Amino acid sequence: MKEIVIFNNHFYLHKTGAIYWKEKNTLLLADLHLGKVGHFRKSGIPVPRKVQGVFYDKISKLKNSLNFSQIIFLGDLFHSSLNNEWFLFENWVKKSVLKIILIKGNHDIIPKLKFQQVGIKTYNDLKIEKFLFTHHPKKINDYFVFSGHIHPGVRLTGKGKQTMKFPCFIYNKNQIILPSFGGFTGMHLPKIKNEDQVFVITNKEVIEVKEKTN
Amino acid sequence: MRPVEKLFKAKGWKPQDFQVDCWEHYAKGKNIMLHAPTGTGKTYAVWGGILNESFELKKIEEGINVIWITPLRALAVEIQKSTQQLCTDLKTDINVDLRTGDTPQSRRTKQNKNFPFGLITTPETLHILLSSKKHKDVFKNLRSIVVDEWHELLGTKRGVQVELAISYLKFLIPKIKIIGISATLGNKKLAGEILMGIGNTFKTITSKINKKINVKSIIPKSMERFPWRGHLGTHLIGEVIKIIRKGKTTLIFTNTRSQCEIWYHTIIHSYPELAGEIAMHHGSIDKKIRLWVENRLRENKLKVVVCTSSLDLGVDFSPVEVCIQVGSPKGVGRFIQRAGRSGHQPNNPSTIYFLPTHAIELIESVALQEGIKKQMIEDRLPHINSYDVLIQFLTTLAIGEGFFPDEIFSLIKKTFSFQTINSSKWKWILNFLTKGSQSLEYYDEFKKVQILEDGLMVVQDKGIALRHRLSMGTIVSDSVLKVKYQTGKQLGTIEEWFVSKLSKGEVFAFAGKNLELLTLKGMEVIVRKSKLNKAKIPAWIGGRFSFSSNLSDLLKNTFHNKKSYSTKEFKALDSMFNQQNRESKIPKSDELLIERFKTKEGFHTLFYLFEGYAVNEAVSSLLAYRISLLYPITFTISVNDYGFELLSDQEFDRNIFIENNLLTKDYLLDDLSKSVNISEMSRRKFREIAVISGLVFQGYPTKPVKTKQLQSGSQLFYDVFKEYEPDNLLYQQAINETFDHGIESSRIQRTFEKIENLKVVWKDCKYPTPFSFPLITDRIRSKMSSESVEDRIRKMYLQLEKSVK
Repeated sequence: MKEIVIFNNHFYLHKTGAIYWKEKNTLLLADLHLGKVGHFRKSGIPVPRKVQGVFYDKISKLKNSLNFSQIIFLGDLFHSSLNNEWFLFENWVKKSVLKIILIKGNHDIIPKLKFQQVGIKTYNDLKIEKFLFTHHPKKINDYFVFSGHIHPGVRLTGKGKQTMKFPCFIYNKNQIILPSFGGFTGMHLPKIKNEDQVFVITNKEVIEVKEKTN
Repeated sequence: MRPVEKLFKAKGWKPQDFQVDCWEHYAKGKNIMLHAPTGTGKTYAVWGGILNESFELKKIEEGINVIWITPLRALAVEIQKSTQQLCTDLKTDINVDLRTGDTPQSRRTKQNKNFPFGLITTPETLHILLSSKKHKDVFKNLRSIVVDEWHELLGTKRGVQVELAISYLKFLIPKIKIIGISATLGNKKLAGEILMGIGNTFKTITSKINKKINVKSIIPKSMERFPWRGHLGTHLIGEVIKIIRKGKTTLIFTNTRSQCEIWYHTIIHSYPELAGEIAMHHGSIDKKIRLWVENRLRENKLKVVVCTSSLDLGVDFSPVEVCIQVGSPKGVGRFIQRAGRSGHQPNNPSTIYFLPTHAIELIESVALQEGIKKQMIEDRLPHINSYDVLIQFLTTLAIGEGFFPDEIFSLIKKTFSFQTINSSKWKWILNFLTKGSQSLEYYDEFKKVQILEDGLMVVQDKGIALRHRLSMGTIVSDSVLKVKYQTGKQLGTIEEWFVSKLSKGEVFAFAGKNLELLTLKGMEVIVRKSKLNKAKIPAWIGGRFSFSSNLSDLLKNTFHNKKSYSTKEFKALDSMFNQQNRESKIPKSDELLIERFKTKEGFHTLFYLFEGYAVNEAVSSLLAYRISLLYPITFTISVNDYGFELLSDQEFDRNIFIENNLLTKDYLLDDLSKSVNISEMSRRKFREIAVISGLVFQGYPTKPVKTKQLQSGSQLFYDVFKEYEPDNLLYQQAINETFDHGIESSRIQRTFEKIENLKVVWKDCKYPTPFSFPLITDRIRSKMSSESVEDRIRKMYLQLEKSVK
């Protein structure tokens, strides 16, 4: 894990794409797109059903190692309208005894009521102390912003014209964008600005990468 | 005397032996496989037999009597004209009509009410007919299926489509006759067996006409300025203009669409007086413009056409006198095919100029001439177990009348492609279609093909049926955008990734014009003509042709054959050979040359196998893998048809290489499957499979279907199958196709057997050698590493894409 300190709070970037917030014992996750597999399958496109379980496997492993008590989903928790994958999620919520908050993303079209029924609070944006939690990346004065939405990834180049693509966190003094935590979501390669720090994630590690300096 | 023979007599024509053979064997009710070059009267040979038969029928039954399948829509038009003409000449009222992707809906509706006796169509359109609920009625009086230009379909997935359609129709109407028409192939007998299916006998008929081909190499006056690398050849434009001025009409064949654009621009720029007499033709140019060019060609109104393989096939352009091949044609068969576009009249020789784009290609010219002399035409390798095509076909049947699995299984096993399919694979496929390849039903909402009470499998969901109809076919293109003027006139299509690199106001060259990008509207690129002379040339990602095994054998022989050195091509290369010998050497026939030198990029190690791109690529990644087993090292690999280069930032020792017996053929397939490249290649192959089998829906720009929440890249599918469902047959197919068609594993086996008998000659060189030049400068890179991903990342840097400093 990589530690970053913002306004005296400690955040740990995890190789799964999650962020652990030490002071609040909270896990931040972005862009799970639950239900996407089900929607594909319902339309005759056979994505393996095992992918539906990816989130639950990843989260239970994280729980064992970090023992957080709260989760903030930074939007696009569900991919589209309600389908049977909701029941998987509902079961997990009931068993998890976690406090869960959902920041609504552009894909979150499932009615608020459904989330309230299982004890999940939903927000468009949420401010806690000097931190803003939102779906779309943005810049707001005096606040540090956590967001997702773009499923960030980067292309790396090495000697002899090697190239590889990885999902990543994009971090600067105003905000951090989380990679997608989902199992069937893909990634997008945004333009990286000079003030950005980039942390790529592999199955094993979080690694900071830099621009080549001549 | 039968009616067609009478007609020939009346017209004073003498039928050729193969025509008479065709008529006779057709009358005997035989299946026929006819091998004859284009323009030798094969349409009459086949259609004549069919008409002879029709005169003997008491009554011509309604519905389609004959299906004639062609690979090209343009060709379909020609065939329709010539078959209908023969009907008219024989004074029968038999009607031949056309049905392809270009046929307007009104004409289709008219056909549906009253189907013609003969229907000229394409494999795709035939499958669409099979998806109609009434197809059994339409085909109930079918007598024959003709498959034209079978050599073009064979070896592609469209060929598998044809196999399935034939087997299905033969199941519906067992008495139908199958007639294949093909240009000469290496594996003639097999070509027939694949078309006819398992257990059907047939008669092979071969025309004895052998067209004479003159090959002339274009040799630059001054060899000093002749490049050792490059792929354009435009420095030889002066010679090309001389040829154009001499002949009536010239076709210039280029290997890629961007090369075609560049050549067109270069000619028109240097010789503006040719304006109006020059045109270009390639697959991304709008259909209307292409048709216009084809018509002008036929009417003898063009002096020169710059084209790609889009003009390789069929259509008869009599005015063409000479062809020019720019760069390597990569195979003897393709070279002959292209040469054959000239001198189309029977008995006239064909003339083709070979224009080398770099020095070593001159050697190829000598090899090609030898290949033509020996008629070393390549085999076509059929696709085996293309489950993607099978899944598409079954869905096609299911959106129509539906199918009973047992019946269909029996006919599928009779196709060449699926003859080895077993019941467990078949069950997997049915399960894939009906349950999304799962067994658990808990919470699952999978819906595609449903099983009715009587066991009939059908698609009932209208959305699924519609999406399937829109995506039938096996030709998978990259995501393309339409290029249009503001007035709405279409110019053609261009790939999305190229457009994404352009900004508004930038000028690019397309369809022979310099165009300014005005705006992007959905799937359309709106442009206007620009007066600027400088323009970016678009690139299209296309299949990369590799040297055929015949050509690579020919090339090696050319090197080692003393006689070659007296050809004018070799004489012209004298100084290059001298330099190669000075820095390194020209390998003898029992030697494998390896060169090593160091530049600021790192350590270059070059291997010259001369086995063609595909084999060289596979061998390179295999070697890199074997070396990397010895210690952690990362290679960047570059490959061409002659050899490959391993570039590394650490040096690996020559002794390590030789002592560890890295070129052994032991554990060959095992090591191959472990080398990184294989998985990257199958990832690329998977894209096509994902589209054909309906995993990825591309839609049509003209018929937008709301599918946003269903869009996903094939890559993502590949990753989830690899991780969560590795026994998925489509994922397995990607790997198998990579072995069979991508790297041609059987050729690799043979290559390693040859290598074992070669003496390794390792040359440490001071400077890059002439042989190495094309490799170290003109490369397409891939990589191979045994370092952990994390270690590699630590050595890498961010690629800042257009970032503002």
